[in-house]
Parts: sequence; C-alpha cells; structure tokens
Amino acid sequence: MKSNLTSADRSFQTCVAAGVVAVGLAMAAGAFTIPSAAGYAGVGPNFLPWVVSIALVVCGGFMLYEAQTGGFRDMEAQDADAPRPYWGGFVWMSAGLLLNAALITTIGFIFSCALCFVLAARGLRLAGGQEVSGSRAWAADTVTGLLIAAPVFWMFTKFLAINLPGITSTGWL
Amino acid sequence: MDIWNSLLQGFATAGTPINLMWAFIGCALGTAVGVLPGIGPATAVAMLLPITAKVDATASMIFFAGIYYGAMYGGSTTSILLNTPGETATMVTAMEGNKMAKNGRAGAALATSAIGSFVAGTIATVLVTLFAPFVADQAVKLGPPEYFMLMLLAFTTVSAVLGQSTVRGLTALFVGLAAGLVGMDQITGQARYTGGVPELLDGVEIVLVAVGLFAVAEALHAVLFEGKVAESENKMSRVTMSARDWKRSIPAWLRGTAIGAPFGCIPAGGTEIPTFLSYAAEKKLAKGENLAEFGTKGAIEGVAGPEAANNATVTAALIPLLTLGIPVSNTTAILLGAFQNYGIQPGPQLFTTSASLVWALIASLYIGNVMLLILNLPLVGLWVKLLKVPKPQLYAGILIFATVGAYGMRQSAFDLFLLYGIGVLGLVMRRFNFPTAPVVVGMILGPLAEAQLRNAMSIGEGSAMVFLQRPVSLALLVIVVAVLVLPRLMKKRGVVLS
Repeated sequence: MKSNLTSADRSFQTCVAAGVVAVGLAMAAGAFTIPSAAGYAGVGPNFLPWVVSIALVVCGGFMLYEAQTGGFRDMEAQDADAPRPYWGGFVWMSAGLLLNAALITTIGFIFSCALCFVLAARGLRLAGGQEVSGSRAWAADTVTGLLIAAPVFWMFTKFLAINLPGITSTGWL
Repeated sequence: MDIWNSLLQGFATAGTPINLMWAFIGCALGTAVGVLPGIGPATAVAMLLPITAKVDATASMIFFAGIYYGAMYGGSTTSILLNTPGETATMVTAMEGNKMAKNGRAGAALATSAIGSFVAGTIATVLVTLFAPFVADQAVKLGPPEYFMLMLLAFTTVSAVLGQSTVRGLTALFVGLAAGLVGMDQITGQARYTGGVPELLDGVEIVLVAVGLFAVAEALHAVLFEGKVAESENKMSRVTMSARDWKRSIPAWLRGTAIGAPFGCIPAGGTEIPTFLSYAAEKKLAKGENLAEFGTKGAIEGVAGPEAANNATVTAALIPLLTLGIPVSNTTAILLGAFQNYGIQPGPQLFTTSASLVWALIASLYIGNVMLLILNLPLVGLWVKLLKVPKPQLYAGILIFATVGAYGMRQSAFDLFLLYGIGVLGLVMRRFNFPTAPVVVGMILGPLAEAQLRNAMSIGEGSAMVFLQRPVSLALLVIVVAVLVLPRLMKKRGVVLS
C-alpha cells in the first residue's frame, strides 16, 4: 500500500520507532531504582513507571514492525511534489534559538531576543526565496527585533514584575 | 435561586474595572492568536503562564479563558479569508467559507460565523451556569475508582480516537505520561527520574513542553517545509447578512449548538467530530437551491453550523474541566495547569472552596462573548490586517514570546536549551503525524490519574477488582472499551463517516 516509500523515509521511520523503544528502555532502567513501597494499595510509586516503559517499548516495537513492512500506517497523504526540506533555514533558526539560550544572561533579554529574531527571520526569508543579499534586510530585521523585544521586556518587568535578565538591573535595558 | 445569587456575585467580581480589563485583553489577544497562523490558544496561554506568579487567580483565569474562547472567534476569520487549511477546529468552516469568499461573500461568511459563535457561546455559557453546579454536586459522590476511570476515558479518547493512528496516539500519550512522572511522587514523596537534579523535583514545566511542542516546533516546521508555500487571500466584502442569510443561518446556529454542546460536556475531546457532524447535518437538511450551493458557491449553513458547534463545544468543555478537573484538549489541559499554579485543583470541591473565582469566571464568559461579538463584527477589518504580517517576521516574533514564557517561569537559561530540544522533538512528531494533544494531556493529567489509581487500589485493599465492583466505575470501563473497539468494528464493516 505504501510502496512509494523511499528508503530514506523508511530509515527515518525506523529511527523514530527505535527512539521510542530506547526511551521505553531508559524509563525501565530508571524504574528499577524506584522502591516499590506499595503499602495498602498493592501498587507503589514504581507501578506507573513500569507501565509507561513497557507501553513505550511495545508501541515502539509495533512502529518498528510498521516501518519495516511498508511504512507507518494511516499517514497524511504527502504530495508527490512536496518541497524538499530546506536545511539552511533550519540551521539559521537553530543558531538563533541556541545563541539566545547561551547569551540571554550575559547580554540581556532585549539584545539576545533581537539576535534570535534576526537569525530566525533570515532563515525564514531564505526559505521563502527572498533576495536578502543587501544590508537593508539585516537592518530592517534588527530594528523590528528590537521593537518587539524591548516593549515585551518592559511589559513583563515593569507591569507584571516578572524577572527577565537585562544588562543592567534597572529593568529598562 | 442559589445559582442566580452566585451568578450575580460573579458578575459583581467580574465587572470590576480591573477584571473587565483582563477579560478584554484576553478576548482581544485570543482573537489575534486565532487569526494569526502558527500560534494558537494553547501556545498563547502557555507562554503567558508565568504571569500566574504575580497576577491574582481570578483575574488571570478570566484572562486565560478570554484567550481560550476568543481564539475560536478569530480562527474562522483566517479559515474564511486564507486559502490554506488552518487548525483542525476550523477546517470544516474553511470548506464552505472559502467558497463563499471566492464568490465575493466573505463578509456574509464572517458575519454568520461571528454571530453564530456568539449565539452558541452564550447558549453554552447558560448551560455551564445551570449544569456545572449540578454536575459538581453529583461528582462529589464519585470516589477514586470512578475518577480514575473518567481519566482513563479522557486518555483513551484523546489518544486513540482522535488522530489518524492509534499506535502513534498512544505513543504520544505515554511520552506525556513519562514527562509527568519526572519529579516527586505525590503520595510517597519518592523522587523519580530526577537524576539528582534538584530543579527536576518539581517536575517538568508545562510551559516548556507546550511552548516547545507548539510554538518552536511550528516555527522550525515553517522554515524547513513551508518556505515556498504560496498563500492567497480572498477579497473582503461588506460584513452584512441579507434577510435570506439570516433565515438560513439561525436554524443552523441552533442545530450546531445542539450538536456541539453535548460533545463538550463529555470527556471525549476535540472539536473535530462535532464540527464535522454539524456540517454533515446541514448538508443533509439543505434543499434545492441551498443544497446546490454546497461545494460550489459556498453555502452559508455550512459556515454557520460548524462555527456554532465549534464554540458550543469549546465553552461546554469547561464543565468537565471545572467540575471534574478533566481536560480534553491542549488548551483546557494548560488551563488546568494554570489552576494548579495557584494550588487550586479543579474538581467538585471547586464550587465550594473557590466559589467566587468560579462564578466570576462564568460571569466573564457572558461578558467576554459580548466583547468578542463587538471585536469581531464591526472591528473585523482590524484583524484582517494581521493576515498581512509577513511569515518571517511572524514566526521570528513568536520565538521572542516563546522565550518569555520559557524563561519567565523559572529564570533558567538551561530551560531555553531544553525548549529547543522539545521543539525539535515536536518537529519530528509533526513530520511523522504524531498528535501533540495526548502529550500535554498525559503530562498534566497523568500524575492526577496515578494518585486516583493508587487511592482506588487502597480502597480495594490492593485488588483491582474494586474497579469492577462499583457500578459507575464498571459502566465507565465499559465505555472505555467501547470507545476503543467500536470504531474498529465500524471500519471493518466499511461504514464511513460522512
């Protein structure tokens, strides 16, 4: 039924199913360390962990079987001319998110988020096939990023008194 | 007239300027996230969960509820005007709404969905007012075995019935349950899966999982796969309805409400089934000229009915949430999480212990529906402008808000790395058609279900027979089995829904 499954698709699906099995096994390994302490109930704190790990191994195993025999069942129909994934954009956006995580406590919320915005927007522009060679797109994204991040920062720190990191401790920058 | 007095009290609380302001911001924000592609009510509420640390419980629940049902109003605008399928809840609206818009009747479609949402939302709110206290009274009599069975039913419907594949639904559910296991066991205080990290004793933050799975995964999906997807927008027209439109819409609204409300009351999750049933009913009841419009020029009943069903379901879903503490969708699960942040556990006792909060919340539903009608009918042009926000800036902006939600909860930069990891996980899930609702519901409801299970087993002195000996629990178990088995039998016999 899913004979048009490419070998790449199949190996991806196998990886996903194997990942589920691995999570199940990891949960089981953890479940060993939890004392049963069942008391009157007959089921203690280690009961649900065992149920979850067994269920994940079973589900993962079933998906492994599916992946090997024609692929996952009942998948949403994928267009034959579906666009290829655009990994370049993915790298840009990932860089934005990870740099944000790494820098937020040093350069503060506003600059860190603006940086994330610029990098993510760049990835999305490239994904959409926009012309972005000039410095105008960079400038526009930087300004937009700052214009979103700064008011958000003030709204949360000033009105809602939620701590977000700044370069200074004034709550304005 | 106990209910009447309580409701008046509720109006007094909800009617204070500060609470009205929260309701208004919630409704406006809800409409905005409903209109904007790439961000839904669940994401929006999750991102804003950090405010529970500062804002008082009543105000923030009014605010969150506004986002929750406001998004249902806004969602229809997108599905009518944009030619790309939106969220599942509005997919049915898009079928006829799009056709109407293409034939220059976008205004009428928008009007019937806004007014229909108002009618259904208000009727469903009346139902909540009348029935929720009654259900709460009855629910007090339920013991742990019955509660566990109700939660089992919620798990089953959300993972096995909705979505395309049972095995992937169940996998998602168990991943959610696994995430819910991290932290301190509620009954014995035993630490589980914390790996010695003290932060993990409190468990995994809901905000991280919800924002990662929805917002970050959505943005990553957009950059990877949707770059070249061309979007076209339909022309707006004047937002009015002719006499004939009214005549066709009113019965459709009422039928949609009648179909939608019961689906919200039972822990059967999702708006897909009721909206689809409503659409099928309207098509079946249509005659002559009106029937000919279905699928061609776009029939107004096909918009009015499902939109009403959608809103009735969403509002009525507050009954199981408030009286039983059982969420059946992403957003209600996160609303439950918001209650928990205040140390409030929704359930039958809620109507006695937090009476003023509950009634203020219910009163705010009436107020909010009126606000939304105004926001979405005369001011619809404002929201339509939101559709013009270009994709790159939209998704990049969403990431800023995701940062606020994830970081604001615990002030930990580590959480932002975790957020990225969960985002990638969500991307994989989306790519391979795993549903996300079971993860969130499993994670939030899992610990509660576990506690009920163990309490029930204690009652049975360690014997699982306790679930079979009590009639209500047994009946619920039968329903769970039926929910699992019946759709398969129907499929085998070749019965096709529609």
